[in-house]
Amino acid sequence: MSDPNLPVDLPRDAGKRLAELKKLFTSDLSVNEFLLVKQAGFHPLGLVMGSSIYHTGIQTRKWSKSQELTKLTEAMYNARELAMTRMEEEAEQLDADGIVGVRLDVNYYEWGSDAAEFIAVGTAVKAESGVSHRNKLGKPFTSDLSGQDFWTLMQTGHVPQGLVMGTCVYHIAHRGLGQTLGSVGQNVELPNFTQALYEARELAMTRMQEEAERLGATGIVGVRLEEKSHQWGSHTIEFLSIGTAVGDTGASLTLPQPTAVISLDN
Amino acid sequence: MTSGNDGDTPAGNLRDTLLSLAAKGYAPSMPARKGSTSDLSIDEALVLHSVGWEPVELVCGAAAFSIPAGIWTWNQGEVVAASAAYAGAMGRAASALQAECRAVGGHGVVGVRVDVAVERHLVNAVMVGSAVAPSGGARPPALPFVSDLSGRDFALLRLGGWDPVGLAFGASFVNAPRRSAAVAIRQSSQNVELTNYTEALYAARESAMERMQSVAGQLGGQGVVGVRVSEGPLPFARHVLRFAAWGTVVKASGRPDQLGPVSVVVPLDDAKLAFDAASLRGR
Repeated sequence: MSDPNLPVDLPRDAGKRLAELKKLFTSDLSVNEFLLVKQAGFHPLGLVMGSSIYHTGIQTRKWSKSQELTKLTEAMYNARELAMTRMEEEAEQLDADGIVGVRLDVNYYEWGSDAAEFIAVGTAVKAESGVSHRNKLGKPFTSDLSGQDFWTLMQTGHVPQGLVMGTCVYHIAHRGLGQTLGSVGQNVELPNFTQALYEARELAMTRMQEEAERLGATGIVGVRLEEKSHQWGSHTIEFLSIGTAVGDTGASLTLPQPTAVISLDN
Repeated sequence: MTSGNDGDTPAGNLRDTLLSLAAKGYAPSMPARKGSTSDLSIDEALVLHSVGWEPVELVCGAAAFSIPAGIWTWNQGEVVAASAAYAGAMGRAASALQAECRAVGGHGVVGVRVDVAVERHLVNAVMVGSAVAPSGGARPPALPFVSDLSGRDFALLRLGGWDPVGLAFGASFVNAPRRSAAVAIRQSSQNVELTNYTEALYAARESAMERMQSVAGQLGGQGVVGVRVSEGPLPFARHVLRFAAWGTVVKASGRPDQLGPVSVVVPLDDAKLAFDAASLRGR
């Protein structure tokens, strides 16, 4: 590691590219988003990324028991945190105020069974006024809002604080023979399935809310709830809830009155 | 991450220009030029016209670079010959596009569709776009710009005080590192990060992005917008990770920002279904 300023966690190759970004910005924002981010008083600094290849998939589960698979939950958390932290470190390196348009993805590759790449990509931005927009923890804010959403949010007296997420890997019990036979030919609720899905969702949402509370946010916007089985078979599901925590700046609402339009394109 | 909604053009001026155009009965003040071909939609041609540009001709550039045999064996580090072939094919396709654009008197090419295929023995790059020129018949520049932005984005960018200067691209092909049997067995029973793979991916990504940045730097740009990345293993050599990135290089034009304040619109079309009962019928 040659550059002493570089965080230890960041792979060596990232340093050179980031050093070049002082002269030039890169961004995966579309032209609309780019111009809107400029209108909101921010300048894009560079495309920042974080990634981690992680081996997940080890935990024994009981066939007939609904339970959270804590080790897997921890692994999913840890891998995403690694990717997010590395992305934030790159933003830190660029002296950014925040990251907009963050995408968090999981990719699987052929060459490693159960090995998944967790990747976070976004555009680092900095306020042109020089006023710091970093969050309560003194770190660049992160947000999965698009350029349009970011502009709109800024007009309503709110600032993004951070991308918050909660995850829960849950094993849903198989039904025993007796239960299956009991419900054949009837229209009934399957309470054990309902219960399990409920609990998993609640756990994921609660964890997301806890993260937002740590950031001192007043709310979370654009929450998405994703359910994925990844490579664990049909009865093991990851519930992921993810959204942008926002804080109230106390600034007045400057959003223009919306005009209704009927567009002629299809 | 382009917005799907075209109704939100944040340009008061644009609207005024279009209105005044309509009042004039859309009488283009173009010099007498023989008919033009372009793959721009009507909206795009109109928006271009509103900022004083016209489509000239559909232009195309293509190049194929060969890849030497035997380089796809599972080695270590970057597959240098493949990266070089990629850069060569893209560069040559772009300059062929520029040459065609110059031949028809265009100032630049917008809406370029980049189609690049990496095969076992060759890299094939095809670029198709519409050559455009400002109405009034100004002298075309020696080196026309190439941009994958749509006509609409091009017009917006110009109104916002920026000019496209060219297409920047970069790619890198890196071998996934092999693990020793002992390491593979140990890792297969744990939830851990596979640090050597992470490092390899980083190497591919960083050198591709860096190449893109250096092309942008050579073009004298101030930034790259709309960067698109394509990554993943190659279908015929699964142990090789490809990372490619390209985008349009932009430069501040020095003209004032003519966009004006943004207005907020609520599109009234495409009402969303609140509840789709189709799922209840077992699809």
